[in-house]
Amino acid sequence: MSKKLQGNLNLNTIQLKKGELLTEVEELCGENLFGCYQCGTCSAGCPFVDEMDLSPDEVIRYIILDRKEVLNSKTIWLCSSCFTCAERCPRDINITKIMEALRQIILRKKIDRTNIKNITKDEKETIPQMAFVSLFRKNVG
Amino acid sequence: MPLKTYDKKKDHDLGIPLEDDYFYEEPEEIIENKDAPQLESTIQTVTQRAEKIKKRVINADVLVVGAGISGMQAALDTADKGYKVVIIDKTSTIGGAMVKLDKTFPTNDCSICTAAPKMVELSRHPNIELITYAGINNLQGKPGKFKAQIWRKSKYVDPDKCTGCDDCAEVCPVEIVNPFDEKLSTRKAIYIEFPQAVPIVYTIDYDACIGCGSCDRVCEPEAISFLEKSEEIEVNVGSVILATGFEVFEPTEMRKEYGYGKYDNVITALQFERLLSSFGPTEGKVKRLSDAKIPKSIGWIQCVGSRSEQLGFPYCSRVCCMYATKEASIAKEANPDIDITIYYMDIRAYGKDFQQYYDHAKDLGVKYIRGRPSSVYENKDKSLTIKYKDTLTGEIKEDTVEMLVLSTAIKPNEENKRLGEALGIEVDENGFFKQQELLTDPIQSTREGVFLAGCIQGPKDIPDSVSMASGAAAKAVAPIKDRERHIGKEFPPEKDVKGKKPRIGVYVCHCGKNVANYLDVEKVTEEAKKLPNVEHAEHIMFVCSEDSCKKIKEAIEGKKLNRIIVAACSPRTHGGLFQDTLMEAGLNKYLFEMANIRNHCSWVHSDDWDAATEKAIRLVRSSVAKARGLEALSEEEFSIYPATLIIGGGISGMKAALALADMGIKSIIVEKEKQLGGRLTNLHSMFPSDTKTEDILNPIINKIKKNKLITVMTDSELDKLEGYIGNYKGTIKQKGKTMEIEFGTIIVATGFREIDLKGKYEYGKNDNIISQTELETKIKANKLKEPKNVVMINCAGAMEEERPYCCRVGCGVAIKNAKLISQKYPKSKIYMLYRDMRVFGKEEEEYFAEVLKKHHVTMIRYPGDKKPGIILDKKDPKKGSVSVKVYDDILNEEMTLPADLLVLTVNTEGGAATEKLKNMLKVPVDAAGFFIETHAKIKPLDFSTSGVYMCGAAHYPKNLVDSIAQAEGAASRAAIPIAQEKMKGEGIVSEVNEALCRGCGLCESACAYSAIEMKPHPQDPSRMLAEVNRALCKGCGSCAAACLSSAIEQKGYKSDQINVMIAALCEKGKAK
Repeated sequence: MSKKLQGNLNLNTIQLKKGELLTEVEELCGENLFGCYQCGTCSAGCPFVDEMDLSPDEVIRYIILDRKEVLNSKTIWLCSSCFTCAERCPRDINITKIMEALRQIILRKKIDRTNIKNITKDEKETIPQMAFVSLFRKNVG
Repeated sequence: MPLKTYDKKKDHDLGIPLEDDYFYEEPEEIIENKDAPQLESTIQTVTQRAEKIKKRVINADVLVVGAGISGMQAALDTADKGYKVVIIDKTSTIGGAMVKLDKTFPTNDCSICTAAPKMVELSRHPNIELITYAGINNLQGKPGKFKAQIWRKSKYVDPDKCTGCDDCAEVCPVEIVNPFDEKLSTRKAIYIEFPQAVPIVYTIDYDACIGCGSCDRVCEPEAISFLEKSEEIEVNVGSVILATGFEVFEPTEMRKEYGYGKYDNVITALQFERLLSSFGPTEGKVKRLSDAKIPKSIGWIQCVGSRSEQLGFPYCSRVCCMYATKEASIAKEANPDIDITIYYMDIRAYGKDFQQYYDHAKDLGVKYIRGRPSSVYENKDKSLTIKYKDTLTGEIKEDTVEMLVLSTAIKPNEENKRLGEALGIEVDENGFFKQQELLTDPIQSTREGVFLAGCIQGPKDIPDSVSMASGAAAKAVAPIKDRERHIGKEFPPEKDVKGKKPRIGVYVCHCGKNVANYLDVEKVTEEAKKLPNVEHAEHIMFVCSEDSCKKIKEAIEGKKLNRIIVAACSPRTHGGLFQDTLMEAGLNKYLFEMANIRNHCSWVHSDDWDAATEKAIRLVRSSVAKARGLEALSEEEFSIYPATLIIGGGISGMKAALALADMGIKSIIVEKEKQLGGRLTNLHSMFPSDTKTEDILNPIINKIKKNKLITVMTDSELDKLEGYIGNYKGTIKQKGKTMEIEFGTIIVATGFREIDLKGKYEYGKNDNIISQTELETKIKANKLKEPKNVVMINCAGAMEEERPYCCRVGCGVAIKNAKLISQKYPKSKIYMLYRDMRVFGKEEEEYFAEVLKKHHVTMIRYPGDKKPGIILDKKDPKKGSVSVKVYDDILNEEMTLPADLLVLTVNTEGGAATEKLKNMLKVPVDAAGFFIETHAKIKPLDFSTSGVYMCGAAHYPKNLVDSIAQAEGAASRAAIPIAQEKMKGEGIVSEVNEALCRGCGLCESACAYSAIEMKPHPQDPSRMLAEVNRALCKGCGSCAAACLSSAIEQKGYKSDQINVMIAALCEKGKAK
């Protein structure tokens, strides 16, 4: 009975077998997720946490429990890679890298839904350019 | 007018002798007063000093480095056995970190009140030489023949002349930050650390002193001497005990996000402890540092620096959860309106009564939030906002508190590396001292003859430090056991007071603020003065301090006092100390009376100044009334049979026997099973080093078998016991046969067992549901089949209404067994359901983290009110797989886990023999079947019945390392009476008036200590007569109360003595 997540990715397209999510993430980010004590420091310090459907510590918990639906979480795309979580984690886990690993799992399947044409004129004028740069960089790995 | 010039040479602190610490160009006295005699005396002084330059050599038996609670215990334990001890401390006093604390968990005993008597006892011990303000520079030689170089820094104050009057500190113009108060206050360049310091001698802080000479001018006893030089002392000893303690992490560089050092109202827990202390900077009132306002809300952040792999320390600091709980409860009890929150990751309430203490704090209203705050920022009103995630509700929140306390890590002393080099012993990667064998010899350092005690090899609480210190004393005696022993203190001959008019001295104690803040000590003193026979009455800040005791002695001499009354705290803790003072002054120690105006007045009537004062006056009055009729009592001397009986042949019992044998003392191990080894026999291996149990047991059992001083009796049990300390006779039953043995002391090492779950968690109904012990036995016998899914449930039968305690070892055992399964069957998936992960201290925490990472154990936290449910297979409930329903506390959802192996971490209780032993030994046992020690903090190994001691899991479940430290400690305690060869009994005993005794025997049945026996009257054998065994009698008075013909009187508490006390209490006083 997991949380309702906001993404609408068809998880079958990812083709991860049982238990493979964790191995894949660990291979991509080089972090040992089992070192996490679930203390919540990363989540409390995250500047975007209010918008997230899963908080960063919950993302780690989902991976440990082999819940592939974590890939459908908005969190991994909201993460702006500011490294605050990584800086403060007492267990020295680089959560930012974990987020990147999750994004990579999707992107390497050539699933990219960024559609520049859909950005309205209004948005183009108000959103800082840096944000667009970050977004594109993030989405192409 | 500069008096002196000098270069501040750092060498001074490094312990390198200087030519001269202070160099006078022209001493002031000489300029002012140039007549010859003055000059001559100055020359004389200089010559005397020059003679002192010759290196002092002390020959002793044991050197103890560090005089905190561990060092003090080690020194006292060694000295009590008759060996000469030199103890040094780098500060100008003794007491270490414990005296900085306000109270101690879980009993909330006043910390200084339990430490101070030990400090005074140490300074008065005839076998102990105390050298403060000193360090060790070098250690040469081998066990039995060590040569240590001690560097004693000059205090520039003559200890024999200083009276501790504080005149010097008042005039000193220099103020520096006070490290004793954790930088919360300032002190002068001439100072004592705290009011109860031992020795009570002022010290000039060389680095801070500007050399103005003000102190010298006001010092009436002329104690200050700038010519006093630092000296090198050579100490020849047989062994060395190291107990230099720990430091507390200051989160200025690391963990900056919590704002320590930046925001005024963020403090460390040790600073908070100073705020609570009655002799701290705020005299016990918790105030904000920014504006001295009383905070309405306080927050605690746990694990600041601890359990950290990033910046900080990877280990758990072991005591923070409990001290934060203690500090929070004290603050809450003092002010119920205050809002208190503790932010934690796991609450490690692992020790005896800790869980109950934690539950009590929750009942008081202390809020516990599981979540480690991310950052802290300061608001305009200097309050602090904490950002955190409540991991149990999933909410990201901000709380604002008016004061924030950081529970910072215990870290190794900065100096350890230098000390390690000087002593030739190794430190580990964190900077703590290394043990030679972590599991089996935790007290032995990497150099033979050098032993470790207390926090120097990892964080520890007070009882664990004290046990270990006793253990170190046992080990330190081994190389010197055959040396000459010096027992007892020589007291001057007793003055005969019989028939003399009572001359009573009354001393009223402020106890810092403990008494003086709640009642009028001055008025109590004035009222006492008016009473007949009172020749002297005064009130003193701390009557138990060394200089006050000196004052009492002087008054006994000068004013010819022959009865002394101290109105202060409890005679249980302080009576002996004052009795020693009386004996030193030539008075019989029973001419002393204590009025407990702290517990009975200031504590219970803290809200009513007048009533508390009135009650104190009456208590003093009744003590005076009794004191008029006090008489000198004599004590019975009896010999000690030189052997110890050890009940239980597990690892603790065996280690105790070996430690005794090393001290040259015989022992008899009585083991109920066929072989030695206890619980360890059935276990597979021990964490954190994963050593196989047979590799631990076999060498020890072999050593025991070879040792001629140890007699082993297996298949046996103690059936009957008679006698008393020093003279026990026991009947041992061995395979149907019985035999009698004699011994002088007893060590109880009966261990623990898993509780009967009575079908909880479907235990016993399915073959796949087993306990941790059963699992280990299976692994050991290689009978564990490969499981697909393993679920472990921790805290089965623990921390609930019926058994409210934590089993202390469960988490560690579960983690180790998870590793064992995973190593053997890497494909098995392991889930561990837990409530709080209590892998405390050094090594355990790191072991836990390592197992999680390497073996991918999935941790699931479940709430105490939603215990996991077990569903048996419908088709095959006996052999089929089970599933476990668990509520995940972090994700707030229920999960169902399949399990073909379900392991229960079952709670524990006292061993099977407890009930029988309890009655035989006349010792108390708690609800869980564990034996109760005399004092939870400073006497963890002793029973109230003298001559009987305990160790290992009989006291409370314990891991191997703690059990061994305790076993060696218990051996040390049990060896003391044997080393002393003779002991003295109580003076307060029952006495039978033969003329009045009817021989009815009521007293015999009333006596709980079997001290009374009915015997035929020597002159008239047809008549029976009660006879009191003076060695067994504890002076409880039950017999006196039971006697119908008033034929029994209890000495010191005779009927007429009590009657006058009651009359004096009820007498209507003039004082209102």
